[in-house]
Amino acid sequence: MHTSKLFTGRLATLALVAIMLFASMTAFSAGRQEAPATGEQDLIILINSDIVSLDPHGSNDSPSSNVRSQIFDTLVVFDSDMNLLPGLATSWEPVGDATWEFTLRQGVTFHDGTPFTADAVAASLNRVTDRDFGSQRLFLFQMISDVEVVDDFTVRVSTEFPFTPLLAHLAHDAAGIISPAALEAAGFDEVEPIGTGPFMLRTWDPGNEVVIERNPNYWGDAPTSATVTYRVIPEESTRLALVERGDAHIAEILQPASMGRVEASQGMNLRLFDTLSLNYIGFNTEQEPFNDPRVRRAVSQAINVQTMIDGIVEGAGVRAIGPISEAVVGFHPTLEGLSYDPAAARALLAEAGLADGFSTTLWTNDNPTRVAIAEIVQNNLAEVGIDVSIEVLEWGAYLSQTAEGLHDMFILGWVTVTGDADYGMYALLHSSNIGAAGNRAFFANDRVDELLDLGRRETDPDRRLALYHEVQEILVQEAPMLNLYHPKWMVAVGAGVENYDHHPDNTMLIRNVVVNR
Amino acid sequence: MSLGVYVIRRLLQMIPVLLGVVFLVFSMLHIVPGDPAMIMAGEQASPAALERMRERLGLNDPLPVQYVRYLGNAIRGDLGESVRNNRAVTDEIFASRYWITLQLAIMSIALAVFIGVIAGIISAVWRHSLFDTMIMLIALFGLSMPSFWLGIMLIFWFSVQFFWLPAAGWGSLPQAVLPVITLGTAGAAVIARMTRSSMLEVINQDYIRTARAKGVKESVVIAKHALRNALIPVVTVVGLQFGFFLGGSVLTETVFAINGLGRLMVSAINARDFPIVQGAVLVASVSFMAVNLIVDITYRFLNKRIELN
Repeated sequence: MHTSKLFTGRLATLALVAIMLFASMTAFSAGRQEAPATGEQDLIILINSDIVSLDPHGSNDSPSSNVRSQIFDTLVVFDSDMNLLPGLATSWEPVGDATWEFTLRQGVTFHDGTPFTADAVAASLNRVTDRDFGSQRLFLFQMISDVEVVDDFTVRVSTEFPFTPLLAHLAHDAAGIISPAALEAAGFDEVEPIGTGPFMLRTWDPGNEVVIERNPNYWGDAPTSATVTYRVIPEESTRLALVERGDAHIAEILQPASMGRVEASQGMNLRLFDTLSLNYIGFNTEQEPFNDPRVRRAVSQAINVQTMIDGIVEGAGVRAIGPISEAVVGFHPTLEGLSYDPAAARALLAEAGLADGFSTTLWTNDNPTRVAIAEIVQNNLAEVGIDVSIEVLEWGAYLSQTAEGLHDMFILGWVTVTGDADYGMYALLHSSNIGAAGNRAFFANDRVDELLDLGRRETDPDRRLALYHEVQEILVQEAPMLNLYHPKWMVAVGAGVENYDHHPDNTMLIRNVVVNR
Repeated sequence: MSLGVYVIRRLLQMIPVLLGVVFLVFSMLHIVPGDPAMIMAGEQASPAALERMRERLGLNDPLPVQYVRYLGNAIRGDLGESVRNNRAVTDEIFASRYWITLQLAIMSIALAVFIGVIAGIISAVWRHSLFDTMIMLIALFGLSMPSFWLGIMLIFWFSVQFFWLPAAGWGSLPQAVLPVITLGTAGAAVIARMTRSSMLEVINQDYIRTARAKGVKESVVIAKHALRNALIPVVTVVGLQFGFFLGGSVLTETVFAINGLGRLMVSAINARDFPIVQGAVLVASVSFMAVNLIVDITYRFLNKRIELN
């Protein structure tokens, strides 16, 4: 009797398990979408983190920007060499002191069929600059005071003060022009991603993938791929395995340690690209002993930055002399930096009355690269008699306490998202931006302030360059920050994948990619 | 007490536990240091954006009011909206992710039970034999092996080197093989060890000796007399494992790019998307409680002498 009861019980359990297994198998087929059998190219790109928002005025993160830049066009565009090219505007010129007039491209339609006119430009820019909306990307457009529709294909953008880098800001993907019909429907909610770009949204499975497809009515050259899939694969070794197998074509690399594996593989190639980013060590220039430029220079000369680059990012970085990278407009190509020279550092310390060295702290957040940098700094500075204790802070506390000036030294990064020296240096070094706005070195220098203000107004490109070059020369001597390196973007590209390019702002340029099978 | 009454009583007993869980989940937002609106909106947020965030999350009301509202909404199945993309939390969880995690959990626990129980019985029956030593060694190995490492190795060999199985994703049977092995292995190891020790304890009992003495076949002694009684602690362990799997197996889901509950939770924590974290924790807790209930009912099937109380 026991046996039979037990037996039926077991049978019931088995049946239950079988039913559940069967249910899970059949459920499989439901979510699966097969690619169209067109024989055309379907490009698959593997990214590390999820696409958060396809609203150009939404989340300020790079996976989202990557997809948005294929769906939306901007008035002007930077190519991967940072040349300014026409986008939805065919020409532009300054009108008066603080206004730019754009002549718009005609015959362009949005993905929903709405014709593109100056009203769309005004609606898009007015939304992102609306203070009540509070877009995460407002900081890029805060200086815009008015958007005036002159006629259907002419629009004027005015700024509160003369602001030459406006064009660079309008080339940012946050300035993508959105269908007015979609904007009307969305208000301040997430807008339907309807732009004029070469690709249109097909499907979006949050946390998993976004698929975009070719826009048949695109005004420019048609892209080579019929569809592009951006798939989220958080584990780096899995991303690389998929490219190596040929299951995917392009993958982001985040860990320098992966470069060797990619190079050794026959199934994929390593590509490195310049960025707009900087990793730096900032000094608290308001407090002793770092209020003395000699001490800041001494520390700068005591740290072997090249060894740091070779050791920590395995060479995937360019030694930074000024705060902006070569890809940024305003870069100083012949700038002489301070060399690694511990003897000179000791001499400078002696000159500053600190021949016996001193004790100080170096702050970082728990970013492993930064912690590794901190350890090298600690080691290098010990050799010139400076005793550094490293403090690892939680990110929120790190940001707020460096903004309040409670630090001695700190390690942080900066991305010059607009690709223009103004954005790179005004926030980091102008005395009006001391604290949370970006100037965590608490650096105040009248000449630098003056030059940065002039740089914003100067419309002549050569004179503008000269202003920024002078700033960078002053910075070498003043040394408010020790600029470490400009990291490189690392990308694994499948064997047989051609014409891949990468924008310094970390947009993947995939329109012309050809996959040879 | 009949089974029906027992189940109803247990369900009623779950209510205070649920209230406690909801309270803890609700408190998460308020225990973290700093202004929750600021944490979610980011340090660059404008005052207008902060105010909109507070308004949206109802942070301007007194705490008790907020708690009652959260509870009331939760009972109606409304867990709020994601701060990142404004989608309903219940959609983010139940549109597909929960079911993917459930599929993975069911398949993995099935594999773990299958391997674990058989290995455990063999080990116990041929105690101190070469079999036993080998199985326990392998189990120790499986237990100590980090699942992400096992996953990466499986991908490397079976997917990249031999090309037998896909490396990632979820949606077809071949895609399920490697993650299920990865997740099932650790579970199998725990279950094997528990089955072995529990069997050994039972095998030394008087009634087993009696059964043998009265001439019952050894296979029947093992299968009927020993195993049934030995299974009770094993069922407990299986239930616990399954409960953990349901909460989302973060590492396995990450390595194999499976868009399940665990990955949702981690990405939400990274993005400081509190409503999602709260919702996912709540769903995982309720799943765990449901599994516990099933385990308790299973005891009754295994041994009538266990009082349903």
